Amino acid sequence: MTLEVALLFLQQGIASGLVVGSVYALLALAIVVIFKTSEVPNFSQGEMVMAAGYIALYLLVFRNLPLWVVMPATILAAFAGAALFRRLILNQVARANGSPVNLVIATLGLSYVLRGFVRQTGFGDTPRSFPPVIEPQSIMIGQASVTTLDLVILATAVVVMAAFFWMFKYTKVGRAMRAVGMNPKAAQLVGVDLTRIHMIVWGLSGAISAVAALLISPKVLMTADMGSIVTLGFAAAIVGGFTSLPGAVVGGFLIGIIENLVGLFVTSRAIVLAPFLAIMLVLVIRPQGLFGGRVEIKKV
Amino acid sequence: MKVTAKQIWLGAALLAAGLVHASQAGAQEPGLTDKTIKIGMFSPLSGANMAYGFDVVNAAKMYYNKINKEGGVHGRQIELVVEDDRCNANDLVSAVKKLVEQDQVFMLNGGSCSAAAVAAKDYVVRSKVPWVMLNASADGALYPPTDYIFGAYSITQYAVGGSVVDFGKEHLKAKKIGYINHDDAYGAWNLEAAQDTAKQLGVELAVESINPNITDVTAPLIKLRAANPDMIAITTYAKPAALIIKKAHELGITKPIVLTVTGTANMSQLVENVGNKDALKNFYVQDVLADVPGGPKIKWVYDMYKENYPDLAAKPDHPQAYMPYGIAPAMSVVNALKEAGPNPTREKVAEALRSQKFDSGVMAGPIEFGPNDRAAQESTIYLKFDGSQQTLIPGSFQSRWKYKG
Amino acid sequence: MSDKTAAMAPRSEASLPAGWSARGIPFVQIALLALAAAALVILPFAVTGYVLYIANLLLVFVVLCLGLHLVIGETGQFALAHAAFYGIGIYTSGLAGNAFGWPFPLSMLLAGLIAGAVGVVIGAVALRMRDIYLALATFAFGEAMQWVFLNWDRVTGGPNGLRISPARLGAFEILSDKQAYPVVVVMALLMLVLTIIISRSRLGRAFRAVRESEVAAMAMGVPVRRAKIVAFGLSAFYAGVAGSMFATFSTYIHPDSLGFQTTILVLTMVVVGGLGSIAGAVGGAIAFGLISEVLRQTPSYQEIIYGLILIVFMMYAPRGVFAFIRDRMGRAARG
Repeated sequence: MTLEVALLFLQQGIASGLVVGSVYALLALAIVVIFKTSEVPNFSQGEMVMAAGYIALYLLVFRNLPLWVVMPATILAAFAGAALFRRLILNQVARANGSPVNLVIATLGLSYVLRGFVRQTGFGDTPRSFPPVIEPQSIMIGQASVTTLDLVILATAVVVMAAFFWMFKYTKVGRAMRAVGMNPKAAQLVGVDLTRIHMIVWGLSGAISAVAALLISPKVLMTADMGSIVTLGFAAAIVGGFTSLPGAVVGGFLIGIIENLVGLFVTSRAIVLAPFLAIMLVLVIRPQGLFGGRVEIKKV
Repeated sequence: MKVTAKQIWLGAALLAAGLVHASQAGAQEPGLTDKTIKIGMFSPLSGANMAYGFDVVNAAKMYYNKINKEGGVHGRQIELVVEDDRCNANDLVSAVKKLVEQDQVFMLNGGSCSAAAVAAKDYVVRSKVPWVMLNASADGALYPPTDYIFGAYSITQYAVGGSVVDFGKEHLKAKKIGYINHDDAYGAWNLEAAQDTAKQLGVELAVESINPNITDVTAPLIKLRAANPDMIAITTYAKPAALIIKKAHELGITKPIVLTVTGTANMSQLVENVGNKDALKNFYVQDVLADVPGGPKIKWVYDMYKENYPDLAAKPDHPQAYMPYGIAPAMSVVNALKEAGPNPTREKVAEALRSQKFDSGVMAGPIEFGPNDRAAQESTIYLKFDGSQQTLIPGSFQSRWKYKG
Repeated sequence: MSDKTAAMAPRSEASLPAGWSARGIPFVQIALLALAAAALVILPFAVTGYVLYIANLLLVFVVLCLGLHLVIGETGQFALAHAAFYGIGIYTSGLAGNAFGWPFPLSMLLAGLIAGAVGVVIGAVALRMRDIYLALATFAFGEAMQWVFLNWDRVTGGPNGLRISPARLGAFEILSDKQAYPVVVVMALLMLVLTIIISRSRLGRAFRAVRESEVAAMAMGVPVRRAKIVAFGLSAFYAGVAGSMFATFSTYIHPDSLGFQTTILVLTMVVVGGLGSIAGAVGGAIAFGLISEVLRQTPSYQEIIYGLILIVFMMYAPRGVFAFIRDRMGRAARG
């Protein structure tokens, strides 16, 4: 490999990595926001993205509604669906006196139900897409080739994340969410309605997933199994620090770049292996990830 | 916990009754009566890969239906038992064992997923049951050849890989081919034949193997572009194929692109997914049917489907793309049964299959087996596809791969 | 209601099957056991090879569940790489037979030992992690192992899968499910007995102490580090043996069945059966194995039904099916 080619690969790897990484970052954010407030790794996060994508597809292509209607409708539907799941199902699971792993298995159940449901409708048969927000034009950044759509994806993801952080840090709801994350009993004592906050957290996670779906579906093509992309979201969350929201974002970009660089410099066959290696390395060397605080001592 | 003794004995009796299953008494072959012959079918009817099997089974069923209406085979009506193999090895073996042992079928007609099908090979051969696959290529089960297993009614991956290299050299005059396959069983088979054929034809291959679930194909395509091939051959499934065609266009690759039949499930959806007609300016598609999908030569299959399944045909995206692939295997079964005569045995049917040759009218080439050959169909056609028009490329393009051993 | 109820309900007795007490084994249980034993022995003569194949598969899952029970149920360590060790067991056993012609008792032992050895290494590395981090690290390891299975063509056959030649012992070859069945049953029973012995031993008590509270365990002199590593190693050993059992009646293995899906299947079996109880692990394996096969008959809805079963169980039978039944029967007896 010549230096010239190596430089090209490096630039392209970083550029493409940032684009796809922005979506992983959104996914990681959605995962971490739930985990931070309820210590549940949501194994159905990928299917939530998938379901949101299909809702958008249905409204756009089969109902012929315009994009500016479909987008908020999808986000609202995802918010409502996720919040309802939390309220009706997970609340019951949490109340029933089982092991905490039960919540995880319940999310697993949801992932099966969503997948099966989408397959039932028949739309999941063949990979689908819907028309992108703008017509993609190829542009060059240095020697790297990206499209205008890629830049829109990146920009939108960043804006959404910024909005989310603002909400988390400066609004009353955000503060309540943080309180629940740190100490739910204390938060309850201070008057925070736990049920409501949990619903909002899940709803937000659903909404972020819907945004991710709207951004990547034109780029990645939708199938009923596209939920497997969630592994990359988990990898991003771990690398960044599973309880750190900014970490999740940085982790997303990192995973995207690593994926691409491995594919370019090693072999395409190893692309799928990269996130798992990243997870193992981070957890062995520095389990709290890049930005996570000190690893908490488990309560005795 | 108080459990009475009565409850225990009752439970035991139920359990025993539920498990005991007397095998059919019979001096005759299993699955055979004077008036009926039972055939066991299996295919993915659910899950991620149901598009590979669901309508293929329907096509075979409707063909059997037609034969039954015409009086059956030697006066026997064909009875079907259909199982879902979920396209994975464990479930396929479950399905096969259930059909053979529990349902006591006379012979098997099933299998749309190649990697899974290989899992049943030893069992079927040991049980001496003739097995005609559906659309699985299952190269791993056909080589080395056995006495009972017949497949690749769509095409083998060996033929797919080799033929696309031949097409590249003969028609597109390519000296170096960028070859994108999957790192799964399918991909391994078609790559082997492609490399073999390339060596024999003096063509160079630049290979990128990708995971079927890949979402970002930038890396492999950047590398291919750097290798500067004269043509790109894609042997992936439909979703990665669309991504690759899009990305190639984005990266400014204008060389011809040839998509093998593995990825051609739904061409109109492919066009939508690619999103840009420009990307298809230099685009060719490999197919194994006798005509373009819906074309005059095979129209009768689609008409038969509409007649047999009016409700399904009304649903969007039905019939599914692979539906016509179910006709040739069913024909093969019926022809073998006819040849085996009014007193068929499994051995007679297997023997009939081993020397079978006929033209199905649906596939690009004849269905043909031979002494060392259990792969039914090995011909391909090529079409130039610009997003709306498909034009047939004249000429015959062959894989040079031969089974050694 | 907080989700952070981390501690599982403490058990005052060792995890013995329902109805057992320190005094001895009551008559009811003996009768049930005798019945089960009789059924197991009669089975191969009364049913078809298909039913025996399902039985063999279920027994493999029983051993898989027992292994997971030891590391998650008893020791509280969420090790999610089970399918990787299962795969190591299958390939080891298959290759020992294929390449070296080893008799199956030997190749089974080797499968368990090699899987167990890898498990010990993973356990040692994963020591410092807890809960979610341990789960994610082992999950990543499991996926990485599947990638290795898929890409190490020379050893595992890679994407072509591996054909397993018939298991042999001297002149005797296993060529059918009926012939494999006695071997599979005996192995499953051996592993069950082993589990019960471990559970009632000091090691078992150490496991449970670690599960309840590592700090308290350390204070009481329990070698926490060692206990964890042993738990990992044992569960991997079990998975390896289960793999070798699979290799006695299967002729082919492909990496597709050796990934997270399989691990999660075993996990749900153990959880739905009842986390922390041997009967739960065994019952969960059999029940879910049967459910999976039965659902295969209802292609269109099976994913939805499966997901709903999981959700409903988690909502209303959180301590597992057996605890649920016991509670109901207890209530019925009292009321």
